[in-house]
Amino acid sequence: MVSLTIDGKRIEVPEGTTVLRAAQSAGIEIPTLCDHPELTPYGGCRLCLVEVEGIRNPQPSCTLPASNNMVVQTNTPKIKEARKFVLTLIFSERNHFCMYCQVSGGDCELQNAAYREGMTHWPLQPNWQGYQVDASHPYIIIDHNRCILCRRCVRACGELVGNFTLGFEERGAQSLLVADIGTPLGESSCISCGTCVQVCPTGAMIDRWSAYRGKETQLDHTTSICVGCSLGCGVDLQTRDNHVVRVYGDWENPVNEGILCEVGRFKPMVEKNQRVNVPLVKKNGSLKAATWEEALNTVANALKSSANQTAALISTRLNTESINAFSQIFRDGLKASIVTSLEEGKFTPSGAQKEGTLADIDQADVILIAGEDLTRDHQVLGFAAKRANSRGSKLVVLNAETDGLDAIAAVSLKPKKGAEGEVFSALTSALAGSISEETCKKTGVSLADLNLAAEVLKNARKAVVVCGKEISNQPMSSKLLFTLASKLDAAVVLPKGGANSLAAARQNLDQSFSLNGEKAVFVALGDDTPSQRLLKKLEGVPFLAVQASYYSPLTAQADVVFPVTAWGEETGHYVNYADVLQETKACLTPSEEVWSNLSVLQGLAGKLGINLEG
Amino acid sequence: MTKPKISSDWMCGCAGCHMSLLDIDEIIIKVAELADIRSTPITDLKEPDAGGVDVGILEGGIANSSNEEVAHRMRSRAKILVALGDCAVFGGVPAMRNFCGIEAALRRGYVETESTDSEGRIPDDPELCVQQKVRAVHEVVPVDLFVPGCPPEAEVIAYVLTELAQGRKPEISGDKLHWH
Amino acid sequence: MKAYRSMVLVSSDPSSIARGAQEVYQALQAELEKFGLVDEVTLSMVGDIGRHDAAPLVIVYPEAVIYGPVKPSDVPFLVEEHLYKGRIASGLQASVRELSGRIAWISARKGTLPAEKRIVLERAGIIDPTSIDEYILHDGYIALGRVLSEMTPLQVIEEIEKSGLKGRGGAGFPTGTKWKFVSRAQGSKKYVVCNADESEPGTFKDRLILEGDPHSILEAMAIAGYAVGANEGYIYVRGEYKLAQERLAIAIHQAEEMGFLGENIFGTNFSFKVHIHSGAGAYICGEETALLESIEGRRGEPRPRPPYPTTNGLWNKPTLVNNVETLANITPIIRNGGAWYRSIGTPSSPGTKVYTILGKVNATGLIEVPMGITLREVIAIYGKGMKNNASFKLAQTGGSSGSIIPATLQDTPMDFDSFNRAGVSLGSGALLICDEDTCVVDLARVLVNFFRVESCGKCNPCRIGTQRSYEILTAISEGLGTMKDLEYLQTLSDNMNLLSNCGLGQTSGTPLRDVLKYFRAEVEAHIKLKVCPSGICPMSGHIS
Repeated sequence: MVSLTIDGKRIEVPEGTTVLRAAQSAGIEIPTLCDHPELTPYGGCRLCLVEVEGIRNPQPSCTLPASNNMVVQTNTPKIKEARKFVLTLIFSERNHFCMYCQVSGGDCELQNAAYREGMTHWPLQPNWQGYQVDASHPYIIIDHNRCILCRRCVRACGELVGNFTLGFEERGAQSLLVADIGTPLGESSCISCGTCVQVCPTGAMIDRWSAYRGKETQLDHTTSICVGCSLGCGVDLQTRDNHVVRVYGDWENPVNEGILCEVGRFKPMVEKNQRVNVPLVKKNGSLKAATWEEALNTVANALKSSANQTAALISTRLNTESINAFSQIFRDGLKASIVTSLEEGKFTPSGAQKEGTLADIDQADVILIAGEDLTRDHQVLGFAAKRANSRGSKLVVLNAETDGLDAIAAVSLKPKKGAEGEVFSALTSALAGSISEETCKKTGVSLADLNLAAEVLKNARKAVVVCGKEISNQPMSSKLLFTLASKLDAAVVLPKGGANSLAAARQNLDQSFSLNGEKAVFVALGDDTPSQRLLKKLEGVPFLAVQASYYSPLTAQADVVFPVTAWGEETGHYVNYADVLQETKACLTPSEEVWSNLSVLQGLAGKLGINLEG
Repeated sequence: MTKPKISSDWMCGCAGCHMSLLDIDEIIIKVAELADIRSTPITDLKEPDAGGVDVGILEGGIANSSNEEVAHRMRSRAKILVALGDCAVFGGVPAMRNFCGIEAALRRGYVETESTDSEGRIPDDPELCVQQKVRAVHEVVPVDLFVPGCPPEAEVIAYVLTELAQGRKPEISGDKLHWH
Repeated sequence: MKAYRSMVLVSSDPSSIARGAQEVYQALQAELEKFGLVDEVTLSMVGDIGRHDAAPLVIVYPEAVIYGPVKPSDVPFLVEEHLYKGRIASGLQASVRELSGRIAWISARKGTLPAEKRIVLERAGIIDPTSIDEYILHDGYIALGRVLSEMTPLQVIEEIEKSGLKGRGGAGFPTGTKWKFVSRAQGSKKYVVCNADESEPGTFKDRLILEGDPHSILEAMAIAGYAVGANEGYIYVRGEYKLAQERLAIAIHQAEEMGFLGENIFGTNFSFKVHIHSGAGAYICGEETALLESIEGRRGEPRPRPPYPTTNGLWNKPTLVNNVETLANITPIIRNGGAWYRSIGTPSSPGTKVYTILGKVNATGLIEVPMGITLREVIAIYGKGMKNNASFKLAQTGGSSGSIIPATLQDTPMDFDSFNRAGVSLGSGALLICDEDTCVVDLARVLVNFFRVESCGKCNPCRIGTQRSYEILTAISEGLGTMKDLEYLQTLSDNMNLLSNCGLGQTSGTPLRDVLKYFRAEVEAHIKLKVCPSGICPMSGHIS
């Protein structure tokens, strides 16, 4: 611990703490611009300058380590002058005229800083050089005219997401934010995670879907989670007039620490599916609006007559409450022949010596990623792998298909489909012995690659294994991978499947299915999208009931459709991949005739005379 | 004690700041009691008294030689010069044209507008004032008080006027400080 | 190695080569053979040895007679007259007016050899820089041998401290103290970095050392490594210095072959490896922390300080960063002792300083003189007076971050302390001498423009401050300045100094500060009278 004095206040902080953080911990506010709590201090904007006794020049508190007996002043006339000067310069650099900016009036940290210093005007005008606006990206707009060159976006892109798309070209006053080597953002290596937009302090990076639709300060904020996949990333859902205006990552949520992928951040904005607003019942071959009473009765009667010759399927995007009610109705009540989830697979094999999380990936020096392209699925795990890689961790990628991480992997193994298990056992034996030519033939992986992979794994100080869905779906392969992991003393990260994959699995709802003359099928689809596979399987079933938020080919096939709430309209619990129980919160009001998924199931249970517990 | 004289004028702006001034509603009566409202764009008198006024208020940026003249005249006749609104304080919306240049801005405005037919041309009557790079008032003449806002809220204007009318210097900070 | 009667040097800088130095060298070889002088006369190609007006130059020692420009057809006469008959080959001597730098200096001393106070440049121009044998013959690697066999690391540092040597990169920090900091820093892995990214406009002293005497830097780095406990060194060489890089590479190879670098040097358990890292043209990489970032493969931007490189340097390890000229002082200090070094120069700034003289003097070029010489002396003696007998107006030191020294300060001794007291700085050792035809607004504008272009862009005061200063100066030079602008220039200069992140940003406002301090009236003339007294500025602007 070191002890220092800031503005006359004695403060104790752990060694290595910056003066800025020390001040903040004591409730002393120092204005900042380039600083961001989640990013490495940069020291570029010079707004956080403080006076330190014994040092001639004002010091940037964001990079200055606190030291014992340091005496710091944060609000002297000299410092106030310096701040005003720095702000004056920034305002004079580019087009910072607030009257035509989308973030003016609360969302702009630059404007807020100027207000804080009581600036009624700026003494220096810019040189009126205009910059092209980069609007090539589907979600993100870069307006260089608003950029203050603080590098928050650059640091976020590299440090948090490991993508290193953003950088700076040229130097001095010519410095310009660029993607890749000056490529338009839309054609660059950008993966649309939008973290840059979230950290931008001004209107330089805005997302085109939410721009001019409301300032953060005017919107309602709801802390919730994303149900796009099993990770359950924390989100700050920003709404206004019953619309989602913006989705930000929740810095406070330990699952993702503020980082989202394209699916979590932008999909809710761009998805324009047509909502089902009233119960629908098929009459004379076409779906007609009906009352809830009629719709529920129709389904209840059909289920009663089909009894155990019923198939019931539920999406893992639905909350635990719905999943529990679902399994009570169909498995316990109706004793239906098929009761499972739409994932149609086992993604939660047991037997790993220790299960790990994203944090293990962050801390590992060798990361074995098997059977899943983390740049496509469970992307936030992929970000962790990429940023770990940028800090020197080695990646071993095993995927029969092309994998987005191939390019940065120390070694990328491409076994024949189904031969993954062989590779794992070969690697396990290679840790102690050697690899035979025969193995190479069987797996289709070269000896050189296998040896290299074994070498990398052997030298790991802290390895972690990601067991993707292509592996977790195969009991034998997973077992062999777990053996390898335990030999490496590595935690196994099981990304699993959809948002509530684990909760569904605990209800045994992770069986694959094929219809065998079932008379009725009930699908609790919620706001999920039906797969082609599912549609095919359900073709020509005698009776199909669907509870869905949106019209889809599946609802078109259905005899009865229950309109249900979508994400953002329903409060409920989810168990994420790492067994963390989280909650989505309702912040939008659905239209009158739309019921929650749980209410529909409860209504149905009532009609069927089944008592629901818990 | 004689009442302080207040004059105002506008230059390159949208008149919105003067609209906001009118939005002070009945307070204008109080201001009129406290001060002698002289020339303004919305009163009959069009030029500040040659003998001088106590407070001169300018709206708008300085976009041409005529604006420049107005600014110099107001400065020379007013004891306290107030820049009212973002255009006067920063250059504001008119200053957007500085980013593309006068030529391009005039062409866009007079020739390339969607509603302009083939006859469109940039006015070039020699009697017209000369267009310049748009400047904030303080770039041309010294300013004593800056009241930013687009437009400044009526409450802020009311506060500024009543303070000035009573010989005090208004403090623009906290809730009264807005650039938007 | 045997002794020779005469030594003949041929200049081999690019302009000499372009003007046939190679042919002259071959002709000399042929003639020496013809006269049977091969065993008596040694012939070498050496690096850049002065201004190029009289290139290629042939210098004959021990008489130190300078011939130039020499054509191959002059060679038979030259060899016969001077080397065979022993008298000066009349008509071929370079005219003194065309000579510059050290050549002029040697010339001025009428053949006294070597010039009295050459420490840093003791071998440059005399030995063949690609020959380790010649370096060894000229006391090379003696210092390293002594250090490794007779001295403890602490004794080495004490000797350097005793010498009073101060860093020659511009800041003038005591070298011994810096070494002590690094030696005391925690950590088993440490680095020595030689800053050879000489990028200050008008400064080319380091280049001469590197091109003419590369081994002296390697030896000094090894000594520094031994003293601070480092076993690896980097020389960060400016990208444009291709010849220096080539010669360093040759020198490293030779030194490794002979066991002066590499594992177990002189059979001790001290090992030291040196890498060359080429810059890529960014001025900012001369700043030590930006230089470290660049070696690590990142964009050259200065790091925040603290922590300092002495504790958290290259790859976060304790690192000693010294300038080339500083390191060039190390071996002489070890060989002759710190007390000897202290006897040269002034008490507070011992040693010599290498200056590059530029501008409106009769002789420009490189000189090495004891600390404490005055500007008036430099101009009169080494510059051979002002060109066209013009009057001296100002000098600008140390490239762009140097000070502008008005004529009133020309009798101030040029050493760190005296300059500090006078409120100016010695900078990196360039002396741009200006006469009355120089307009200070124009000069400041040119200097600020350099910074504007070369600022790394990381911190606001430097990036934006230099840009705004440049624009204001441009407006003043066009007759559009206001008195308010002057106030703002002052604010900009003060605040760039106070608030910038690195040393380069902090000094980028120095030219402005000095101009406003010493030449305010001249600047005001531009604003109030719309007149440029020197007739340089266009003064033709209008608000458009």
